[in-house]
Amino acid sequence: MGTKKTKSKQSSNGNRSRNGAFRSKLNPTDLRAYSIPDLRLEHPDLTVRQAIKKDKDGAEHVRYEVEGNLNAPVPPIRDSKYLDKKQCIEIYRYMLLNRKMEVALENLYKQGKVVGGVYFGLGQEACSCASAYALDQDDWFAPMIRNQGSLLVRGFRASDTMMQYMAKADSPTRGRDGTSHFGDIEKRNMVSPISMLGDLIPVLSGVALGARLQGRNVAVMTYIGDGGQSTGVTYEGINFAAVQNLGLVLFLESNLWAYSTPSEMQYRCKDLAERAIAYGIPGVIVDGTDACQVYDAARDAVERAHRGEGPTLIEAKMMRMKGHAIHDAAAYVPKPMLDFWKKRDPIARFENYLVKEKKWLMPKENAELIAEVERIIEEEREIAVNSPMPTPESAEGGVFCEDGCHEIKPKYGVPKVKRGTGAGPKQTEAAVHLR
Amino acid sequence: MQLTYLEAIRQGIWEEMERDPSVFCLGEDIGIYGGAFKVTDGFIDRFGPERVIDTPIAESAIVGAAFGASLTGMRPVAEFQFMDFIGCAFNQISNMVAKTHYLWGAPAPLVLRGPSGGYVHGGPFHSQNPEMWFVHNPGLKVICPATPYDAKGLIKAAIRDNNPCIFFEHKYLYRRIKGEVPAEDYVVPIGKATIAREGRDISIITYAAMVHSALQAGEVLSKEGIDLEILDLRTVSPLDREAIAQTVKKTNKVIILHEHSRTGGLAGEIAAIINEEAFDDLDGPIVRIAGLDSAIPFSPPQEEHYLPKVSDVVREARHLKGY
Repeated sequence: MGTKKTKSKQSSNGNRSRNGAFRSKLNPTDLRAYSIPDLRLEHPDLTVRQAIKKDKDGAEHVRYEVEGNLNAPVPPIRDSKYLDKKQCIEIYRYMLLNRKMEVALENLYKQGKVVGGVYFGLGQEACSCASAYALDQDDWFAPMIRNQGSLLVRGFRASDTMMQYMAKADSPTRGRDGTSHFGDIEKRNMVSPISMLGDLIPVLSGVALGARLQGRNVAVMTYIGDGGQSTGVTYEGINFAAVQNLGLVLFLESNLWAYSTPSEMQYRCKDLAERAIAYGIPGVIVDGTDACQVYDAARDAVERAHRGEGPTLIEAKMMRMKGHAIHDAAAYVPKPMLDFWKKRDPIARFENYLVKEKKWLMPKENAELIAEVERIIEEEREIAVNSPMPTPESAEGGVFCEDGCHEIKPKYGVPKVKRGTGAGPKQTEAAVHLR
Repeated sequence: MQLTYLEAIRQGIWEEMERDPSVFCLGEDIGIYGGAFKVTDGFIDRFGPERVIDTPIAESAIVGAAFGASLTGMRPVAEFQFMDFIGCAFNQISNMVAKTHYLWGAPAPLVLRGPSGGYVHGGPFHSQNPEMWFVHNPGLKVICPATPYDAKGLIKAAIRDNNPCIFFEHKYLYRRIKGEVPAEDYVVPIGKATIAREGRDISIITYAAMVHSALQAGEVLSKEGIDLEILDLRTVSPLDREAIAQTVKKTNKVIILHEHSRTGGLAGEIAAIINEEAFDDLDGPIVRIAGLDSAIPFSPPQEEHYLPKVSDVVREARHLKGY
């Protein structure tokens, strides 16, 4: 802020920029200026690139290497504008539940009780939990694979997710799908994710559209990664929400790795929140390992949605601290980069904030809280393990909603109908395409 | 009253919007312009821009938004300007919409509708019959009406159905055929075929515009003493297995006729059903008449060569009669 840029050097091709366009002759004050608020208290400058490295036999290998200040000190937690002591502790508790549930899942996997893989949100618990915590009861959300903490905040039990991973008969999908792929349109207002990335964005926008037709402005929150945002449907969905002014709260979780591909190979701009400018909607950057920043940005966006002011794009920066799934040791991640982000563990930072800085939680209370969470997870694990496997025949049925299995009616009330004076369908025959 | 196929669809959607405030329309250019084929002409004046929504050119967003709205208990009717463009939304339909009730028990009462079909020289991207992409997709109902009466009754049934319905409107029929449509409210059940022409010698199993080609062939052949029975499927998924079996048991000879490409086409599935339900009743080979295994070409002589013709039906029927 306030530092004057020195005049940039004339480029070698004279007054032309590299793409051939003439440089603007406009007065700088005529140019539109945009800003992206950034709540972070540090701005990591790490970059990842491919480099050729020789092994001891002289053979060349392409590997990722990281550059930047890897020794920067860990920033403090930013005090929330909104959260009080009780709420902070509640979010912290959800984050603990989230992590300990995933530890339990890892153990279940090692015991051979999980069907398929396990996906982790390690390092992303603040983002999952504090974002969902900002929603009101009537709001909607749809998690991604790593937002298992969001499910806990919205009232699902750890055993629900565990049973999904174990493909049990009592799982929310009764064995038909795994992971966080389940939903509930009755009470918890959750849309089930699918494995294909970005499709939830227009779907959640449609939820907001449906609610608005029924006279309600609800916030609809969903997530996309720095990898998933490369899909075309991401653009379609955000743009649809923007032109229709729908209350989409999109968390763009920049966790730096899309499976094994670094964010540098997914997009060119500096911060993905800049994309908001192109959509004509507000964007904001938060430190995804700081629960208070995540909550504050989410709450602002949720309130905008409730006021009918349209979508918000929130970029949360953090790192995925395990592989894509349990099978992936993430050996492609440069170790110094992992060490840098280990120091920014969202739970350790929040614990330090609550126990040492704010003294809102006495060490003894903290120990009791951790023990309580561990006890809950153990109970949930027992429930999940003891659920039977589904019968083979339960694969059948339910393809269609039939024989009165659901009563469909507007969730927020009968839409108010405005009637124009148009008397009936027009009978225009003019100017028709392909007669 | 006598209505065109297009007017019947328009009236069906209009009446459902009058009847049920949870019905709304979205799609490209459907508002003030009234849609590329004018199906929703005048709707925005009556129902307002809230319920007649002009969307960006983004088919995945249109389907996604329709699906999302349906989760809140709305009944969206989304228009594809041409059904060829439904491919742009394929993932949303196939992986999101179609699987939702089976996987997590959420009903998706939405209608995806638009014009399909050839004979109008629309070229490879404005003439396709992409219904088979969805017939192979459990969880979707796929509807292809042939007459104004069925078009109106089926669009109303689709809007009232608690499942995702894909409604293919044959653009060749839009303004070419007229039929009697009752003034009072009615629906045509989804999944039920109808006999378009009763006969005793050979069954033609078909749907949409091909019903009319078969009827013309029936006129030609009746002069030769060949009496065609024409089964109009009306819904191609789920198929009316009983009606298929019944007509085969009656005539013992069958021709399956459709516009889309032969390989992997609906005729193969129907032949398999006949095999399962009425093998012993067959007195001749099951004959397929279908589009070529290529894209549908643009130039009129080429398009005519690609698509099934009345003369194809006449020729194949004469041949089959000899068994």
